[in-house]
Amino acid sequence: MTSQAVCLIFLLPFSAAVAMPMLGAWRRSWCRPLALSAVGLMALFAFSACYDVLTQGPVRYALGGWDPPVGIVLVLDGLSGLLAVALSLVSLACLFFGGPALPKDLGSKVVPYHTLVLLMISALAGVTLSGDLFNLFVFLEVSALCAYALVGLSGGRALIAAFRYLILGTIGASFYLLGVGYFYAATGTLNMEDFLNRLPDALHSKAVLTGLTFILLGLAIKAAMVPFHGWLPDAYAHAPDAVVPLLASLVTKVSLYAMTRITFWVLGASTLTYEFPLLFLLSMGGTVGAVVGAFLALTQQDLRRMFAYGGISHVGLIVIGITAGNQTGFSGGVFYLANDAVMQATLFFIAGIIMYRCGARDLNQLGHLGSQMPWTSAALIVTALSMIGIPPTGGFFGKWYMVLGALEAKNYLAVAAILSSTLLTLAYFVRIIERMFGEKPSNASAAQLASEEPVEMRVSMGALAASIILLGLFSDRIVGLILRSAVPPGLG
Amino acid sequence: MFENLLSPNFTTFITLFIFGLTIMVTHHNLIKKLIGMYLVQTSIIFFLVTIGAKSGSTVPILLSAAGPIEPHVYANPLPHALVVTAIVVGVSTLGVSLGLTIAIFRRYGSLEEDEILKRLE
Repeated sequence: MTSQAVCLIFLLPFSAAVAMPMLGAWRRSWCRPLALSAVGLMALFAFSACYDVLTQGPVRYALGGWDPPVGIVLVLDGLSGLLAVALSLVSLACLFFGGPALPKDLGSKVVPYHTLVLLMISALAGVTLSGDLFNLFVFLEVSALCAYALVGLSGGRALIAAFRYLILGTIGASFYLLGVGYFYAATGTLNMEDFLNRLPDALHSKAVLTGLTFILLGLAIKAAMVPFHGWLPDAYAHAPDAVVPLLASLVTKVSLYAMTRITFWVLGASTLTYEFPLLFLLSMGGTVGAVVGAFLALTQQDLRRMFAYGGISHVGLIVIGITAGNQTGFSGGVFYLANDAVMQATLFFIAGIIMYRCGARDLNQLGHLGSQMPWTSAALIVTALSMIGIPPTGGFFGKWYMVLGALEAKNYLAVAAILSSTLLTLAYFVRIIERMFGEKPSNASAAQLASEEPVEMRVSMGALAASIILLGLFSDRIVGLILRSAVPPGLG
Repeated sequence: MFENLLSPNFTTFITLFIFGLTIMVTHHNLIKKLIGMYLVQTSIIFFLVTIGAKSGSTVPILLSAAGPIEPHVYANPLPHALVVTAIVVGVSTLGVSLGLTIAIFRRYGSLEEDEILKRLE
């Protein structure tokens, strides 16, 4: 049963996505229930499979019965299990939020929206489960293609943003594929475990070095690490409201997961010694990203753009944590990754609700909204506390472990980066909150709010805001779980 | 294996790859960008074919079921499977990007990036 559950995590949203156009042609109103139930079921299976993995150890599912290393294998271990659970829950919330945001935004494109979203969720789940380097590429590309189409779905300016995203995303994917080619040339295998076993013999071959450079560069573009973040703010600022939370919370995070998986489980960064400091170089990238992203966020006027740059800075923070080179930092980074998925989704829910009710997206239009939208402002404050890193929210504990890890590794530059990005985050949230609770409304339209936001929007926003606090309250257990079952072998 | 990579094939791959990347980054015309993208993808496919090539080998179907299997007689099927999949991925990317380009052209009446940006302001 367990072994089938692994496959079903990926197959459920996939089959629903295939069925969606046919169902949509027949009964358009059934699209949303089908999508919600498919992702809900996926979350159930992810939960049960993850529970089995945590109690009984990793599961390998050989697709089509072809055993690895010849066949393609899906691997569910502690890390991918926890991530699959987080992914399915966050995407369920995003789908729940997306429904009512649709009519205003996307017109009659309900069917393509649901098809693409389900396809993207299944491909992202595939990335988390994949145990094969090339298979990972295919899943990454499927999810990226859905993301391009979703960004461009509402037309207008979004089309340009989607095109730029596509060009940069394809460069990233091509780099990744090229790296995979080099890896195959050097070792003759694409299976991740098999590759790690054969790597020690080929460690100093130039093909491996070239391959890992290309692969990590490609994934850095996909994960929007500074300086490869150029595509992200435009895409998130112009994409439809129903789509952005999904993109912001999942796409970059899953690419980061792929980077983690490859750095530790394929390249063996924790067990093998390279001629150059691999982890240190990655962590430098993260250090630059954390500060630059937060600084750019501070300079933005557009609410969504500000959140997008905040997300870029958090990608940097997660990279710092994961590449700290010790268990504390790694588990902090992974915990923060799950947290950040929830925080980004909540932030873009809030931006979507503000857009829905008063059409405001510029900071200056936010005047006086605070008192008229109590729920939204409460959620914003909770998320802001977590983004800044104030207990008892999840963000604090993630940052805490990451700082501890960086101190343990004596990487004081990273500690300084985490702290300064925290200060900058505080600064830009103060800007938003100051505007929201400002004395007088800055323009007339903000005073005349549209009717209340639909209850689905409020529920999904509230649920995620509550789970930010829950993540903080249960952080001990979750980090303990990561430490016990998701840490790469050989990490000090 | 790597003496191979200095062969004309490898040079071709690098030339195509750099050409494609340059076109993608420097040209303002959307279609030209896509041509660059396609060149990059093709060059990588060419690279994968090159590392999978083996002279004097035959298709990987067993010549006879009797007797021991002699691996050196057959070509390695795996790079070819990769290439087919990579072509499919490349074609779908091209499809999505052409769709976006058509939508952009219908909306803004131009394919030059600078002109579109001018029209946006």
